Amino acid sequence: MTDLAIQTEALSKQYNGKGGCQNITLQVPKGVVYGFIGPNGAGKSTFVRTLLGLLKPTGGKAELLGKPLGDLEARRRIGYLPELFRYPDWLTGLQLLHTHADLLGLKSSLRPQHFTTLLEKVGLNGREKEKIAKYSKGMQQRIGLACALLGDPELIFLDEPTSALDPLGRMEVRSLLARLKQEGRTVFLNSHLLQEIETVCDQVAIIDQGKLITQGDWRKLCRFQNRYKLIASGLGREVLSGLPYVIHAELCQKFEPEAGTALKAEWQIEVENAEELPSLVRTLSDHGIGVYELTPLEPHLEEIFLYWMNRKEPEDVDHR
Amino acid sequence: MWTIAKLSFKEILYKRIFPIALIMTLAYILLYGIATHYAAASSLQSLNEIDPAQKAAMSMQFKIVGSQLLSMGLYFANFIIGLLTILATVGSIAGNIESHQIDPVLTRPIRRLDFLAGRFLGYGILLTVYTLFFFLSIIFVNCLFGGPLQADLSAINILKGGLVFACVPFIIIAPALFFSSIVSTINSGIILIVLYGMSFIGGFVEQLGSILHNAALVNIGIISSLLFPADNLFRYMNTLLAGSSATPFDPTSVFYGSGSPSALMLVYCAVYVLLILLLGVRTFARRDI
Repeated sequence: MTDLAIQTEALSKQYNGKGGCQNITLQVPKGVVYGFIGPNGAGKSTFVRTLLGLLKPTGGKAELLGKPLGDLEARRRIGYLPELFRYPDWLTGLQLLHTHADLLGLKSSLRPQHFTTLLEKVGLNGREKEKIAKYSKGMQQRIGLACALLGDPELIFLDEPTSALDPLGRMEVRSLLARLKQEGRTVFLNSHLLQEIETVCDQVAIIDQGKLITQGDWRKLCRFQNRYKLIASGLGREVLSGLPYVIHAELCQKFEPEAGTALKAEWQIEVENAEELPSLVRTLSDHGIGVYELTPLEPHLEEIFLYWMNRKEPEDVDHR
Repeated sequence: MWTIAKLSFKEILYKRIFPIALIMTLAYILLYGIATHYAAASSLQSLNEIDPAQKAAMSMQFKIVGSQLLSMGLYFANFIIGLLTILATVGSIAGNIESHQIDPVLTRPIRRLDFLAGRFLGYGILLTVYTLFFFLSIIFVNCLFGGPLQADLSAINILKGGLVFACVPFIIIAPALFFSSIVSTINSGIILIVLYGMSFIGGFVEQLGSILHNAALVNIGIISSLLFPADNLFRYMNTLLAGSSATPFDPTSVFYGSGSPSALMLVYCAVYVLLILLLGVRTFARRDI
């Protein structure tokens, strides 16, 4: 039994040899919330739609939950919220759930309880008997989310799941994602909202112009992992540039000295290896520099994303 | 497949296509009934006023006129059924693709074949019920208000004719689904309306060719019938309805088929529907959504 929820090998979907996505090789382990990010038109939705069988691949192969694309048994265990969520507006929310439950072959006896739980989860309890035509855009996205979660799927594809939601709705979705992760479900989250991805995802894949740029634990995807905030007195650029450990240093701000205190400044430094920090502090001390604070700086996904976007050539992707 | 059939069924009902069509149909039947009533009253008066020796010949003439009136009623019914079928089904796939409503459905554990077959059955069953209702209503009006214009119909001929008439929606739904799976709703609609119109004109041309003994006109009619046999099916129904009645329907009428009734016609229609559906399934299964 495979431990991968999604596995693709050089999967491509192109239109007359152009656009779409090309040679995407991706491994998504089970039980993670996996972020799929990229600029507009990068091919994210094309990739998702190809995986779900809506688009026919032009090359490569892929498996979902260990089954080839299009396998009906695998589809029974998959949920999907499309980016362009549109549901028959002449149905009520409840009728829509029944229709999808029919398509999934869910037993009628299990439905009332399951529907109540789902509607509570997506915040639509009490509104299920209204026609979808009367729903706001956010409510339509919520009922779409309920449809995607119908039948407790193991793998859930969410394409921009919060695009129509207000800040409160976004927060609810974030906590829902965390709950899904706790329940051991795999969520493939396609979103522009990097903050959202940063909060809920451990692993990401970055795609640009149809090509996979990088994938893995996003905190390890940056070159500037060993970055620190250094607050020190008496420190100048000439001292830092003379230190073999420091590969990059940037003055952030100078603090106004209070009476009887030294002039302090905040620097952002990057070292080759975290093991060199004690030596660095010792050397600074030897130079008569007072070290007041040395704090590791956590990278932000936005920085990492921009870093990879600004690279001209895609790096060798870690396929582990 | 049945879930999709049920959804298609509901779609026609809830989108109010069907209720509106039903109201207009009832209005038409009422109008047809009033016209038949007055025509019958006038005919009865004429019969009462003529020489008793000419009464039998006159009655026969009225029967033929009555059958024409019935055919006209059914002809317009056929036209309405055709248009309603086109309007209800033409966007059944293309419209769903354009609006992306199909996306969450096709990612469920169903094959595209099931989706198409479900659409075909859902629309087909509902429209067949509607067609039979329409057919029987026209027959009922003719029998009830026809008087001397009442067509000479036997129960078995009504049954045979009704069954053939009930096939009319299927002849349209199959190509509607096929075109809807390859082109946009609007283009699919244009193609179907042109084909449907061509079928009607082809039928007239064939009948005209038959009366004038013009092989070229007959052949044009046959080709149009082969391309879209909706009108042919109607003519076959009309011929079956007339059957072996004592007062045969007017063979020179534009509403009847030029040849004798043939079961081969039905076989052709069945093969036509099946082939077009298979082609639709093949195209739909291969296309990007």
